[in-house]
Amino acid sequence: MNRPPRAVVVCPGRGAYTSASLGSLPADHPIVRRAEDHRAALGLEPLLALDGAERFDPARHLRPANASPLIFLATLLDVEEAARDHELVGVIGNSLGWYTALTVAGALSFDDGFRLVQQMALLQEQPIAGDGPGGQVIYPLTDAGWQPDERLTASVADALLDGGEGQVFESIDLGAYAVLAGDEPGVQGLLRRLPPVKVGDRLYPLRLALHGPYHTPLVAPVASAAAEQLRDLAWRRPAITLVDGRGGRWTPWSSEPAALRDYTLGGQVVTPYRFASSLRVALRELAPDLLVLPGPGNSMGGICAAGVVMEGYHGIRSRADFDEAQRAVPVILSMRREG
Amino acid sequence: MTFDRVPVVEAALDAYLETAPEAAPASAPRALDEPVTPGRSLTVGAARALFEDQVTSRAIDVTARELKKTDRSYYTISSAGHENDAVLGALLRIDDPAFLHYRSGGFMISRARQLPGTTPAFDALLGIVASSQDPIAQGRHKVWGSRPLWVPPQTSTIASHLPKAMGTAFSLARARRLGVATQLPPDAIVMCSFGDASANHASALSAINTARYAVRIGLPMPILFVCEDNDTGISVPTPEGWIADTFGNQGHLRYCLADGDLDEIWEVAAEAIRFVRHARQPAFLHLRTVRLWGHAGSDAEHAYRSQAEIAANEARDPLLRNARRLVETGAASPVELRALVRDTRRRVLEAGEEATRRPRLETTAEVVAPMAPYHPDRVALRAATPPPTAEGRRAAFGESLPEEQANPNARTLAGNLNAALADELARRPEMILFGEDVARKGGVYNVTNGLQRRFGAGRVFDTLLDETSILGIAQGAAHLGLLPVPEIQYLAYIHNALDQVRGEAASLQFFSSGQFRNPMVIRVPGLAYQRGFGGHFHNDNSVGALRDIPGLVLAVPSRGDDAARMLRGAIAMAAEDGRVVVFLEPIALYHEKDLHADGDGGWLFGYPPPPDHLLPGQVGVYEADDEADLLLVSYANGLRLSLRAARRLRDEHDIRARVIDLRWLNPLPFEAIRTHAARAGGVLVVDECRSTGGGVADAIVADLAEAGIGPRPASVRAVDSFVPLGPATAAVLVGEDQIVAAALLAAGERTAR
Repeated sequence: MNRPPRAVVVCPGRGAYTSASLGSLPADHPIVRRAEDHRAALGLEPLLALDGAERFDPARHLRPANASPLIFLATLLDVEEAARDHELVGVIGNSLGWYTALTVAGALSFDDGFRLVQQMALLQEQPIAGDGPGGQVIYPLTDAGWQPDERLTASVADALLDGGEGQVFESIDLGAYAVLAGDEPGVQGLLRRLPPVKVGDRLYPLRLALHGPYHTPLVAPVASAAAEQLRDLAWRRPAITLVDGRGGRWTPWSSEPAALRDYTLGGQVVTPYRFASSLRVALRELAPDLLVLPGPGNSMGGICAAGVVMEGYHGIRSRADFDEAQRAVPVILSMRREG
Repeated sequence: MTFDRVPVVEAALDAYLETAPEAAPASAPRALDEPVTPGRSLTVGAARALFEDQVTSRAIDVTARELKKTDRSYYTISSAGHENDAVLGALLRIDDPAFLHYRSGGFMISRARQLPGTTPAFDALLGIVASSQDPIAQGRHKVWGSRPLWVPPQTSTIASHLPKAMGTAFSLARARRLGVATQLPPDAIVMCSFGDASANHASALSAINTARYAVRIGLPMPILFVCEDNDTGISVPTPEGWIADTFGNQGHLRYCLADGDLDEIWEVAAEAIRFVRHARQPAFLHLRTVRLWGHAGSDAEHAYRSQAEIAANEARDPLLRNARRLVETGAASPVELRALVRDTRRRVLEAGEEATRRPRLETTAEVVAPMAPYHPDRVALRAATPPPTAEGRRAAFGESLPEEQANPNARTLAGNLNAALADELARRPEMILFGEDVARKGGVYNVTNGLQRRFGAGRVFDTLLDETSILGIAQGAAHLGLLPVPEIQYLAYIHNALDQVRGEAASLQFFSSGQFRNPMVIRVPGLAYQRGFGGHFHNDNSVGALRDIPGLVLAVPSRGDDAARMLRGAIAMAAEDGRVVVFLEPIALYHEKDLHADGDGGWLFGYPPPPDHLLPGQVGVYEADDEADLLLVSYANGLRLSLRAARRLRDEHDIRARVIDLRWLNPLPFEAIRTHAARAGGVLVVDECRSTGGGVADAIVADLAEAGIGPRPASVRAVDSFVPLGPATAAVLVGEDQIVAAALLAAGERTAR
């Protein structure tokens, strides 16, 4: 009897929903209906209306309070499908993806997971103290062949050392990319000081639209508000091992739900999210056959592929190795192929 | 009965979990923060975590043996049966330095839990398959070690890591007092583990003795000795009660027996740790364990144990016992534990497969890279930094500096060493100096005279008479960032503790890929030719055992000005590149004044002030005449004798000899020797050490012969004997007449050719 492949699920962050993602949600699916109930109770626009819009409107679709639940739902629907022919041995996520991962792993019920996602998104829409919204800037750390480029790493280090007139922080370590964050003067400084570099057809540094300075002390009020507003979430032991944004493992057998809550609503919010570490730990300690990438967009594909190459996983040490492996026995399965 | 007992033990756990009664459906799962058993401190959550770590450790052992079947793993000494040491991994903090023996899988897995981002199972598997990605040894050995988890690596097969664990505990308070940044909190303690059979090793007894001695003289010694007692040393049973008998009633050593169920062991271990942390005194934790599956994968246990004994041992499997405890106390259900065991075995096995795909060390350069790092430019810079200041030197020396004294150019080797040590102590606040009789007495030969008075007992201190412990203290101090300059009173005494240099200090950078280092300069008075004081133990001339140690630097000055400059070079190599240097001081030349005739003062020299220094490869050259008929190559006492012989060769035989002083016996200055040999009419190596056993003469003669450089080399050497008492020494040591005779032959060789 063939055992199903062992898969680690990688839940995407908030950059995932794009114009190509429209029409992701099946209207009659129970969790979509439940989500719509929650949205209605909060007086928020129906997700199906957003998802069914004729055209993608960045101001509307990328608004945190809309994008987050859309991505959350689409991810869960894909995981449901992936679980049919994979053994899910681990779940990781990038930023918002961590909240989704908690639900995928069963540490939160669907309803509580939705509340967490929706509430955090609403809180993230609150302006931070200071001058302007602040935000996140993404910058590559590898070349087009996914090999680390020391000059780019040095540029990031320099930018972090010199915040100019503003405040800048490390926000997310994606391995192949660094996400830096700051208050508005900080972000402006980053955009000025990071040397322009082109990878593929994209020019960096790139500001992430409608993203705040997440995973930095600037959003500390979010953490305290979340702890207050979400104190009645029922945290449970996960049914699948989670690897968090520090590379910490939460297994079904030894995880303490209270500690999971404290991390998620506390340190996780205000310290750098080390996605690269979570991926590395998942690959090394859980040793999956493949990574499954659910959800809209293809924001995690290149990042995970570069992570696999940098780790040398399954002997894959270059982009060419990776392409060859994908043709033979894929190490990354993207549930969707969008724009 | 099957010989492969792995499946048998695995099946026993499975069978228990299959048949154990589930909790009544109505009963709610127990809260994670409540104690497993009333009145004890181990919580349900902690117990579940421990069990998970123990199962992980066990799965690594099973995977190692599985991969061995296809020759893809290289290490099958396992932790199976010892997994209750995971309790210590959980209870100790990752800033409590831990020196582990080789059955410490449970400990490492549970300790790693304290640091998110670590990958303990995969790291162990990388070690087992000898991958260059193993984060600690990079494939040079399978060791338990981790820089972020503060676990210096060691092979630990002969308890040789206990002295340095003790030395680390000894040095914690001292380093703090001296302002050295240890990165450890004030209440950090040191832990070391070893087996019941290893507890008999001299090194173990030495460390435990010194720990107790420290308490007796009022020094803090926060160390937890953990004896993981599995009743066996490979095939030899440990007598029943031996560990308790031996260590249960020693003064200044708290003995704690950890046996029984997981929560009982937790209680005892927690109390032992509390005691050490608060009392700053040593405790001996006697942890009862079981050894499953033989000493290693290759060990046929059935050859020395009956089937019944093997089965009885397996029945004591701690995983089985802990599973039962968890189930019976309701801390976990059989169905949960079944899933845990199944999942863990699978993921570790798959991780093992992945580990075999990782790269391995291939080239010589890759293997030896961290063994003996040497950056001459940086070492030279380090020798000059911090710059000696006039005020600092005045404070150290008082009114007049050594180079300003009444006869500044008439100083002995001992006097200059004393001054050089004072200069280094004055400008290097992290340097400490210790050994037998070095402090109050100032050394048997007054080399360290007055240093304790000037620099205080925190930095210059006497130790007990145990070379193993002296070197253990040196290693421990160095681990914490101090720069130790220990003294071994005589060369013959270092052999008593040589493994501390060879197996431990010199190997640390190699096995940790340079992540841990124990820089030190070991001062060793030695060599022969002491007039009126004799016998082998004070006139040892065996350096082969030192020259044979990979990466060790061996310095041997012959005269006072060189000695000061070489000592600075040695200290700079230790400080900059973390090197272990043996600084061998020729006792007979300590107070020698004359060279050719009584009263000529030819062996008195000036004091070169810091930062003037010498490094390996820089030889001393005498009679540097391009037209030399003969090259004499020597060091230490042999150098002085060679210079005397050269004078006679010139005066009595009209032969012009150039003499070079090797100064460094490891690494030997081959390049300089070749350069001089190429221009010489004859070459004679004057080696005052024993004629065999890895001597200097063998190496130099072989190098010149193999390189085909210069005339056929000759040598004179000491007889292969222990050095006798009294005038008979002349019968075995190299003498001046012997050098002259051999030199004449060597010079004649040129004409004969």
